[in-house]
Amino acid sequence: MRLSFLISAAICLAQLCSAQTVDIHVPASVVAGNEAAISTSGSGKATLYLSGPGISRKTDIDLGHEINVQSQDLKNAGVYFVIVCSDTCRSASFYVSAANPAAMTFLVHPSRVPVKQDDAVSGVALAFDQFHNLVLAPATVNFQLTAGNTTVYSRSARMQDGVAWFRATSGGSSGALQVTAALDQLSTRRVVQQVASDPCNLRIKGQRTSSGILVETEPVHDCAGNSVSDGTIVTFTAVDGKGKSTVDAPIKQGVARAQIQASNQAVISVASGVVLGNELRVGAQP
Amino acid sequence: MTINMKRPTVLALALFLALSLHSNAADSEVQVQLDSHKAAPRVVESLTERGVLRDYRIAWISLAKALESNTLDPLDGPFTDEAKRVLRDTIVNQQKSGLRQRYVNQNHQLEAVFYAPEGDVIELHDTAEGQLQILDGEKLIHDEHVTLHYVVLMTPSADHWMVRHWQAVSHF
Repeated sequence: MRLSFLISAAICLAQLCSAQTVDIHVPASVVAGNEAAISTSGSGKATLYLSGPGISRKTDIDLGHEINVQSQDLKNAGVYFVIVCSDTCRSASFYVSAANPAAMTFLVHPSRVPVKQDDAVSGVALAFDQFHNLVLAPATVNFQLTAGNTTVYSRSARMQDGVAWFRATSGGSSGALQVTAALDQLSTRRVVQQVASDPCNLRIKGQRTSSGILVETEPVHDCAGNSVSDGTIVTFTAVDGKGKSTVDAPIKQGVARAQIQASNQAVISVASGVVLGNELRVGAQP
Repeated sequence: MTINMKRPTVLALALFLALSLHSNAADSEVQVQLDSHKAAPRVVESLTERGVLRDYRIAWISLAKALESNTLDPLDGPFTDEAKRVLRDTIVNQQKSGLRQRYVNQNHQLEAVFYAPEGDVIELHDTAEGQLQILDGEKLIHDEHVTLHYVVLMTPSADHWMVRHWQAVSHF
């Protein structure tokens, strides 16, 4: 009994002694889309496993020879595990980092903005390499907002963790606002439509007609002189001896009109959003 | 007759309970903590914080299931865009090589480092700890306690946050 135990122990020790320790050498780091070389020590046959983002490979190898990992297997940034199994399994890992910026995602808000609104326009830029990896290396992005030939805003922002951003006041005139983010040779453009702000100096005029009172605004502008967008609702309110009546009318070609049914003397007021206009007194129907 | 009818029912119930317990056990193995105090320029609202935490945890539960079972279904919902493409490629290649990955006792320390002014993208740094096992079929070929760093981009969808980009880095 004791003899068989000793024999077994001796066999086990012999096996342990014959099992070779395989060292794996992997690159310290690799840039996405490049090849990499993996080397192993020892001799004989083994199985090499490569497991990483988007890749899972199992290959028979000869120990002691260099193994080339092809560039298409290292496109995705991340951590890659190399496992070599012969008698036992050994492992190593390395990181693939993003290549140079090749594309930029540029998120801009909003698509329509009133003029002269504080912090109303914002943008976020994210840089990606040709393999869609997020580029985390430091870089500077230039943001520029232009309306016509006028630069409304310009700022250089350092990319941090792959992201740069800005927030700016909208321009003073209605029309297209070009928003550009530039990083080295890359440039991405978005367009924000600037529209007039709230009406300013809202004024109405009116006249009695056979069927009531016809009232209309003077051309409606904001305080910067931009025509308020067609479709903006203007509310006319008439108060006469019978009570109060209200008519909502959209601005068409810069002017809002309404026909008010009132035979007595009436006081008509106008409002658009939070802006109040003048009051108009119209005499009774003759 | 009565016994014969009951036995499959009992077996089915036992199987369901076993699967549920296994699933719950796997789910409870994923711990996620989120620190959003340093997020800028927008402050992370508490409702958003809860949503991100919930959906990032679900994403890792799904990812672990997908990589262990080599099935694509768990990726639908939590992942989109590049994150989904890379994971899909990983699983398709694992199906070919016969490899599987198993994440055990996951613990994720999340830090929100960027939250867009309009709230349409959030960037997270995840320091993930756990046991990573790689299997060739049923044979365990790699078993290591790992600490990995991930840069994650999440974007809101109709009712939840989705992982849009997911990239391991050597350090933050």
